[in-house]
Amino acid sequence: MKLYQIVAKDVMRRKRRVLYAALGVVIGTMTVVGVLTMAFAGQAKIYKQLEQYGPNLTVIPAVNNLDMKLGNLSMGTLTVGDNYIPQSELPAIRQIADSNIREVMKIDDQGNIATLAPYLYENTKVNGVSVVVVGVDPEPEKLVKSWWNVGKGDYINGPDSVLVGSLAAELLKLNVGDTILFNNNELKIAGILDETGSSDDYQIFAPLASVQKAFDKDGMISSLDIRALCNSCPVETIADSINKNIPGVTAIAVKQIAKSEMGLVDKMSNLMLALGGITLAVGLFGVVNTMMSSVHERIKDIGIMRAVGASRNQIIKVFIYEALIIGVLGGIGGYFLGTALAFAIGPLVFEGTAISFVPQYLPLALGVSIVVAVAATIYPAIRASQIRVADSFRSV
Amino acid sequence: MLEINNVTKIYGEGSARVVALDRVSLKVEDGDFIAIMGPSGSGKSTFLNIIGGLDRLTSGEVILDGHRIDNLGENDLVDIRRGKIAYVFQQYHLLPSLTAMENVLLPLIFCGDGGDEQKVETILSRVGLGKRAEHKPSQLSGGEQQRVAIARALVSGPSLILADEPTGNMDQKTGNEILELFKELNQEGRSILMVTHSADIARQAKQIITLQDGRIISKAVQQSVR
Ligand SMILES: Nc1ncnc2c1ncn2[C@@H]1O[C@H](COP(=O)(O)OP(=O)(O)O)[C@@H](O)[C@H]1O
Ligand SMILES: [Mg+2]
Repeated sequence: MKLYQIVAKDVMRRKRRVLYAALGVVIGTMTVVGVLTMAFAGQAKIYKQLEQYGPNLTVIPAVNNLDMKLGNLSMGTLTVGDNYIPQSELPAIRQIADSNIREVMKIDDQGNIATLAPYLYENTKVNGVSVVVVGVDPEPEKLVKSWWNVGKGDYINGPDSVLVGSLAAELLKLNVGDTILFNNNELKIAGILDETGSSDDYQIFAPLASVQKAFDKDGMISSLDIRALCNSCPVETIADSINKNIPGVTAIAVKQIAKSEMGLVDKMSNLMLALGGITLAVGLFGVVNTMMSSVHERIKDIGIMRAVGASRNQIIKVFIYEALIIGVLGGIGGYFLGTALAFAIGPLVFEGTAISFVPQYLPLALGVSIVVAVAATIYPAIRASQIRVADSFRSV
Repeated sequence: MLEINNVTKIYGEGSARVVALDRVSLKVEDGDFIAIMGPSGSGKSTFLNIIGGLDRLTSGEVILDGHRIDNLGENDLVDIRRGKIAYVFQQYHLLPSLTAMENVLLPLIFCGDGGDEQKVETILSRVGLGKRAEHKPSQLSGGEQQRVAIARALVSGPSLILADEPTGNMDQKTGNEILELFKELNQEGRSILMVTHSADIARQAKQIITLQDGRIISKAVQQSVR
């Protein structure tokens, strides 16, 4: 039989004491795992939101501001350039976006990858009130505006059907089935959107071709949103490439927004991690305390072991083995309780977040709790191993 | 084999100063069986503790087999506890969570030779506990616990056994049985220093020394002992 076997047996037979000592470790580890699991879920949620919401790139017509000068006198600025992008550029833009994504994501599939949502904005009057009409491509538009909810009626379902923003419907007194005129072109209201809190609420959405025809803007769009289905998509590269290769347009990467949102999550997880760390540090004192008293309780046993031939190092070893057992128990317990904690309060912290088991935190939990248990044991064990044997018998 | 020269042990300082041993000298030959008597507080336990290196002396020297051991470092003392000197205490001092077998194995495990369970079984049978190997101390009577402690002392094959009131917690009959064990060990050639309060028990040792206020006030060799 080896020393560790004796320690293992000893620990098994002193279950209550050992579990009590493990409790401190469990609490510390539980907090860290709980915090991390919640932060992980929060991050996953935001990633998902970023994937759902909004484009990664916006393409608008290039405009140049020319400073007009006469001698030293500034005569103001003149905006030069078109207000529209030729629709014929779309395939070229798609080609640039898709090939870049394919390269980074190592996709072989030759199908379309990015979603391209073109827009044509026109001012018009309906029932005598000014309103913005937006020409959209219904299918990609649905993907890009995943938060849209058609409250009454249906989504755009034909070349002459339109969707009306909630406030526009109210102001213009429009209802599903009503007919409106765009420059004498008759269109029918297919549905009314629920409120979105964005400018969409004031607008009327119609199929792109119908708007182009009604306003005599054949083959023209005002802007283009590009959405890729990945977080690591090289949006900046795509933007650069579009700007270089497609004349007359400016592509802007919207990743900055994503970045700042991720930064917020990072800040939040750092804060929570700091809280977890503080809890762990406070927990460490608790663990040191239980370990101290556990060692203290066993001073007589230490004396006995020394009297029958244990060296100081062997005494310290006995307690380190014990701490390892406590650490493993504490790590496993802390992992599961921490995850349970995250399940319990995670949805309150990050509203509506789906918490899940994060298996890679188990080794982390084990590591943390073993380190804590051993660190908390070593000092009292060394101290106890230095007590004279005669004194250790007397002290009890 | 053992020589104690002018050993003084002083506990505390100032008004708390206690002279537990006052220039005590004693020679122990191979095969000696010495009973140590004396009133409580006279320094008997201190004497044994110092001989075995469980406590440090204030002045004087302890020589075991020609080598001073009172000034040894901790590691060398460990070696002595692992082979030459073993203890038996009044309170048995067994580890409560371990079985008799495991308690006796302990010295062998600390020695690093893995623990020979066969050897332990033999020794346990020898002290009359062949059938109690898997019992824990709490499941054993006082006499049986002391037998476990004696087996534990024997397992490392010591030439000197220090026993501090080994029969102090027992009735007379059990005490005598334990004493018989010590006598056997002595007949095998082991030297024994045994503290006792019982004149009956002391009478069966080969020699009796009496301590009082930290001094040896009498030494008596007993001719009548076998
Ligand atoms: N650690 C200690 N600190 C102070 N005094 C002690 C200590 N150990 C023993 N003594 C004192 O030394 C004297 C001898 O004690 P001890 O050797 O235990 O006596 P005995 O075993 O003969 O009863 C006693 O007066 C006791 O109070
Ligand atoms: Mg005593």
